[in-house]
Amino acid sequence: MLNLFLTAFVTAFLAAGVRRPFLFVLAYAYIDVVAPQKVTWGFLAHVPVSLIAFICAVTAWAVAENKDGIRFSPRQFVLLMLLVYCGLTTRSADFPEEAFEKWGWVWKALVFAMFLPLTLRTRLRIEAFALFMVLSVGVIVIGGGIKTLAGGGGYGELKLLVNDNQGLYEGSIISTVAVCVMPLALWLARHGTIFRPSWLVWLFAMGICFACLLMPVGTQARTGLVCAAVLGMLMLRTSKKRFTYIAVIAALGLVAVPLLPQSFTERMSTIGNHQSDQSASTRVAVWKWTIEFAKTHPFGGGFNAYLQNAVSYDTVKAEKAGDNNTAIETERIVEKGRAYHSSYFEMLGEQGYPGLGLWLLLHLMGVVHMELIRRRFAKDPPAELAWVTPLADALQQAQIVYLFGGAFVGIAFQPFCYMLVGLQCGLSAYIGRVKRAAPKPFRAPRKEAVPLPASA
Amino acid sequence: MIDIFTVVVPHLLMGIAVWRLIHRDDLDNDPLLPGAASAFDRARRAFRPAPDKNSTPGA
Repeated sequence: MLNLFLTAFVTAFLAAGVRRPFLFVLAYAYIDVVAPQKVTWGFLAHVPVSLIAFICAVTAWAVAENKDGIRFSPRQFVLLMLLVYCGLTTRSADFPEEAFEKWGWVWKALVFAMFLPLTLRTRLRIEAFALFMVLSVGVIVIGGGIKTLAGGGGYGELKLLVNDNQGLYEGSIISTVAVCVMPLALWLARHGTIFRPSWLVWLFAMGICFACLLMPVGTQARTGLVCAAVLGMLMLRTSKKRFTYIAVIAALGLVAVPLLPQSFTERMSTIGNHQSDQSASTRVAVWKWTIEFAKTHPFGGGFNAYLQNAVSYDTVKAEKAGDNNTAIETERIVEKGRAYHSSYFEMLGEQGYPGLGLWLLLHLMGVVHMELIRRRFAKDPPAELAWVTPLADALQQAQIVYLFGGAFVGIAFQPFCYMLVGLQCGLSAYIGRVKRAAPKPFRAPRKEAVPLPASA
Repeated sequence: MIDIFTVVVPHLLMGIAVWRLIHRDDLDNDPLLPGAASAFDRARRAFRPAPDKNSTPGA
């Protein structure tokens, strides 16, 4: 039944694109996030739907779309340089086969991020894309949230819609991405025109946000807790009633903490002491290895270069030994081929210093651009542009959350994050077009009026 | 059951969103930007049935 439903949905979505070509772009984003071909076992599983949607989106844009006023922004140029650079490192990768496998989806994410701003020509398109990002993530987190509430959570135990522990269906990644979409969901509830603000829309938005917050609890991913804390701090900046906001957050925290499962609080308590936890110790050891690796491979080892690492470290466990004594037990752990568990080290190890530099430039430019946009329209914006500052805020918050979460998860090439980048570029480009289209006065107004002579 | 719920609710909303987007002109032409219809848009409008002259707007 689910199989038929999803097949019918994807088919209808692509068919709708024939009438409105931009819908192909939304269809691609939906397929890339939800991966309906993984959820079903029938027709969709055997057809490259993602590639079909991608080709349809690009072809429809090339053939049918209005291209007046579109420009290639500096950030799109950085994306292009990153794409070319990654292509070059793939050719000389330490593990050519594995590198080529990753390149197979990375190039698509980068090309789509470059292409997306060209299609986001109107305010409605920007809103529609944000809406589909939120709803697509909702497909994963709503079920995850309900299962967490029902007690089905646990580290590596939460069963999401697809149980392959890859992409957005991996615990730490979905926890980070879920927190990223929260500001967008709140923006849509306030400024949406497809679903206009109403109590029902707010109820759904709050439900999605609650489900997003439950993802770190359900997956017991420490990264998610860090992301939620960062978002809480960022929202304080934009909150108009800061004391009320702090009071509400504190009250919710006091109510929530006793309700959290013990396994969650125990796992979160290891954030400050990595030596007691094998997963955290592995990360630190792999990061040290990557720094050493970059000294001999400053241009990176290509995708999946981590496969050659071999790390060893000691874990320290303290156990009560009775009579107020504590037994300290040290265990030597040796591991091979462990993933980076950090986007920064993923870039350093795979793409070297130039790749890391381009990646940082891409994201720092995003934070700065969103800041400039939010400031430009912060005070007395025209009514029809009142949505701009809140959206710039939401996109900036999402990106900063991603940059913090990315410190502990290898999501440097996660397609969802490049959609966020594309959406930011689309907003910047839209604001640029609006600015250029604004009527300019024939003569610049004088600074001071010159009084007419009395005899005249 | 939970999986069916988590699939159906967002997909239903996406379906409604697609339906609404199809019927909105500002998807392709932003009111704040100078309109410049593409060849595809012009062709689509040319094939759209002309409104009935006898009908009263809003009736």
